[in-house]
Amino acid sequence: MTSQQQTEQTGHGTGFAADAAEFVTFVIEGQLFGIPVLGVQDVLAAHKITRIALAPSEIAGSLNLRGRIVTAFDVRRRLGLQPRDCYEDSMSIVVEHSGELYSLLVDSVGEVLALSADDYEKNPPTLAAGIREYSSGIYRLDQRLLVVLDVDRLLDYEPALVA
Amino acid sequence: MDDLLSEFLTETNESLEVLDQELIKLEQNPDDPELLGNIFRLMHTIKGTCGFLGLPRLESVAHAGENVLGKLREGELEMSAETVSIILEALDKIREILSVLEATEAEPEGEDSDLIARLNAAAEGGGAAAVEEAPAEADSAEEEVAAESEEEAPAEAEATPELPAEVAPVAASSPPPAPRAPSEKPQTAASEEAHRESAVANQSLRVNVEVLENLMTMVSELVLTRNQLLQILRTKKESDFAGPLQQLNHVVSELQDGVMQTRMQPIGNAWSKLPRIIRDLALELDKKIELVMKGADTELDRQVLELIKDPLTHMVRNSADHGLETPQDRVANGKAETGTVTLNAYHEGGHIIIEIADDGRGIPIEKVKEKVLANGLASEAELETMTDQQIQQFIFKAGFSTAAAVTSVSGRGVGMDVVRTNIEKIGGTIELNSTEGKGSTFTIKIPLTLAIVSALIVECAGERFAIPQLSVVELVRASANSEHTIETIKDTPVLRLRSRLLPLVSLQDLLGIRAPDGEETEGDQGKIDSHGFIVVAQVGTYTFGIIVDRVFDTEEIVVKPVAPILRNISLYSGNTILGDGSVVMILDPNGIAAATGEISVTENSGQDVGERAGRGGSERIAMLLFHAGDDSPKAVPLALVARLEEVDCDDIEITNGRHVVQYRGQLMPLVGSTGEIHVKEGGKLPVLVFSDKGRNMGLVVDDIVDIVEDNMAVELADSRPGFIGSAVIGGKATDIIDAAYYLRQAFPDWFNMDSNDSPLQRQKILLVDDSSFFRHLLAPLLQTAGYQVVAAESAKEALSLCDDGEVFDLIVSDIEMPEMDGFAFAESVKQSSRWSQTPILALSSHHGPNELARGREVGFIDYVAKDDRDGLLSSIEQTLTELRGAA
Repeated sequence: MTSQQQTEQTGHGTGFAADAAEFVTFVIEGQLFGIPVLGVQDVLAAHKITRIALAPSEIAGSLNLRGRIVTAFDVRRRLGLQPRDCYEDSMSIVVEHSGELYSLLVDSVGEVLALSADDYEKNPPTLAAGIREYSSGIYRLDQRLLVVLDVDRLLDYEPALVA
Repeated sequence: MDDLLSEFLTETNESLEVLDQELIKLEQNPDDPELLGNIFRLMHTIKGTCGFLGLPRLESVAHAGENVLGKLREGELEMSAETVSIILEALDKIREILSVLEATEAEPEGEDSDLIARLNAAAEGGGAAAVEEAPAEADSAEEEVAAESEEEAPAEAEATPELPAEVAPVAASSPPPAPRAPSEKPQTAASEEAHRESAVANQSLRVNVEVLENLMTMVSELVLTRNQLLQILRTKKESDFAGPLQQLNHVVSELQDGVMQTRMQPIGNAWSKLPRIIRDLALELDKKIELVMKGADTELDRQVLELIKDPLTHMVRNSADHGLETPQDRVANGKAETGTVTLNAYHEGGHIIIEIADDGRGIPIEKVKEKVLANGLASEAELETMTDQQIQQFIFKAGFSTAAAVTSVSGRGVGMDVVRTNIEKIGGTIELNSTEGKGSTFTIKIPLTLAIVSALIVECAGERFAIPQLSVVELVRASANSEHTIETIKDTPVLRLRSRLLPLVSLQDLLGIRAPDGEETEGDQGKIDSHGFIVVAQVGTYTFGIIVDRVFDTEEIVVKPVAPILRNISLYSGNTILGDGSVVMILDPNGIAAATGEISVTENSGQDVGERAGRGGSERIAMLLFHAGDDSPKAVPLALVARLEEVDCDDIEITNGRHVVQYRGQLMPLVGSTGEIHVKEGGKLPVLVFSDKGRNMGLVVDDIVDIVEDNMAVELADSRPGFIGSAVIGGKATDIIDAAYYLRQAFPDWFNMDSNDSPLQRQKILLVDDSSFFRHLLAPLLQTAGYQVVAAESAKEALSLCDDGEVFDLIVSDIEMPEMDGFAFAESVKQSSRWSQTPILALSSHHGPNELARGREVGFIDYVAKDDRDGLLSSIEQTLTELRGAA
């Protein structure tokens, strides 16, 4: 876990202290999202994914990343969006969470953006619950809005198991 | 070289090294009795081993050296540099002899009387002149000793032990004095000898286990990469890499074997403490116990060895403690006074099998049952349905409490759940086989190594899975047309496999997965295809089949743990990457068994039916299915039917108002199952022929459907004439006809036809069976054969007949009955005064060797299968004939 990410986590809710932060951007259902670049290990093109029966629905399966087994995670389902039938053309962003590698399945991965804290805003209260749960804020870009996802909360399954 | 000898060489060389160092230390601390004791012990061991191996020359040198040390130890001799030197010299001599021994496997010629004389002189406290020569002699033999004498020499003069090592060799190379010639003849080759000698010592090398573990991990990964490369190669027809890759393949395989070898240790290492434990236990418990260890040199991975060491010790202790009886009890039971605990280890198909057997009292089923009930592990009804073996498995259950188990007659449950958990942790299985009064055998099956396991790759609904080879017993291909067909009981699939019913689970259903594009069409939802592959897996004593779509080959896989999110799914034990780079889940047969067990509770699956085989109400029996009259299927026990015939309607004649047909030179009356026979011109009628005492009767039916051997619960209380009840056969309610009713229709006198002319007429038979179905089946059968039959529905009822003064010539008793079973019944019959001479036949739907043995013990004369009608009749006749002969 990088220090960058930690500042974001602690900063979440109170607004970002840092002047600028870099985000890997990606698109799901036309919406632009971003996660801190320092938490990202890899960006993968479509990969062969092994389905895992009986697993929570958000788990798309597992894949082989250079000899390591990575759990593929369907961000759409987690955010309560329409799930996809197949993941064949999904790109994925590999992140580490408590020592394990996870691959976040997204529609497409965009560029890395350096964003200024000036453009940061808290979640509007009217935001859809599924997204609000895992978002740590919004950046206003020129053309569109970027939702920052909190990877740790996204992948933290304890509360979800309890709930 | 002889194993024993090479072991001796290694060990003695090691001891000599230690002796060298210890002697030096001793010289510095002459008053350390512990050090001296250690030195003495080492020397003594060398001497002892030499004597044992028949090496007189070595022995005599070691003996002389030991003498000196003995004197030192007892304080008769003062410690001095001279003494130490001469002992070192003796050590060098031993070393020298050893080096020759290593080269030629025989002691060198020559004698050491000079050295021995000087040693003896030293022991007497004198011989200074001889002793003075000692350092030089010692030095010349070997460098190492030189290093030591370098410390001695100064000690003699100025006592500066820290002197650097370089000084001594100069002295060491000085030519030896003439008197020492005979024993020192290999002088010139001394350094060479020294090198060779150290070669023996270096043949074994102590390596940190961690290094080996790392090596193993890396080799595991290398194996995986190799597999991937080979997989790629397979897809390319011609490749420049083919040759080198094949080479790599070989090398990696050998490397894997080699590294595995480094981790292999004989299982005897884990057993080394056992003789002592047994000896102590024997003393403590006042028992006579013999420990037999077979296959101690069977090798297995040291990691596995470590993990099974404690469970093994525990189990051996258990066997000796709880399994074996006291000598008095043994003698009273007609056994040898000395009880035997046998350990046996051997390889079998990539696994190690370890058996721990004792010839003690075995596991008392009743006690286990009580305990199970007391602890609420199962209900009485559940216990009823279980075989003895299944009940014995309860001792592996957690909560089969220790303390109470020890104090009760036999226990045996001491921490067995821990043992099982430990063994299952390393992917092994443990089974128990016990015969009350005869002893118990635990069989442990464990993989050779944990790092790489061999797994069967299967496909289900387009997904591949790995099943650890360890739990796979066999593969069966099922298809509609072969002898192996998947049948269903309601919706539960089962397979007949070698006359056993194998419960099946569909992997697809279990995992809730479907083929994505319906390419493997499974028909409608939930319906099991009649073909597919069945992986027969065994978990403990529970054998079941897993239905999969395809079976690939076996592959060596490295088990990797699953992501934390998935850990609560008990069906997976891990995941791995296959040769082609794809990730597959590793199925856990234990988890699957547990999952199916749950299903059986709620859905009444095949497993349940299988377990119920031995129960009173539902019996496994062959039934002939046919149609007659209406659409509903009818059945008759196959045992009653003599033949199936087709009768031409033209051949049917009518005499005396009854349909008859000429059959085998006789007139055979025909009876319609519905009361009437519809004779069609030119048609044929299927007929079931019942035959007895030379008389035949034909039952005309519409058509014969099938012969089904199944477990069936027969519901009785059918008031219609001609039927004794109904049962569910093949998923349909089926009427079971009363053969006796039709027999009486054909021959009203059938059951008493030979009552006057048969010598058997007064032979009275008591039939005891809790199943009214069987009473209805067998009573007429026996009556037909001319016996007088009284049926009792329980052992209690039968015994009350005894109290009422009834006398029978023979008793036929069922084994599986509620309350009092056949064994207990036979025992009490044999004990009662009135019936003690009455022969008893056992009747059972299943009989294993255990039951046979037990039956004979309690006094059954013979054992007959329930559906073996001829067997029963001939057994009865034989028994009664013998009885008459004896009377």
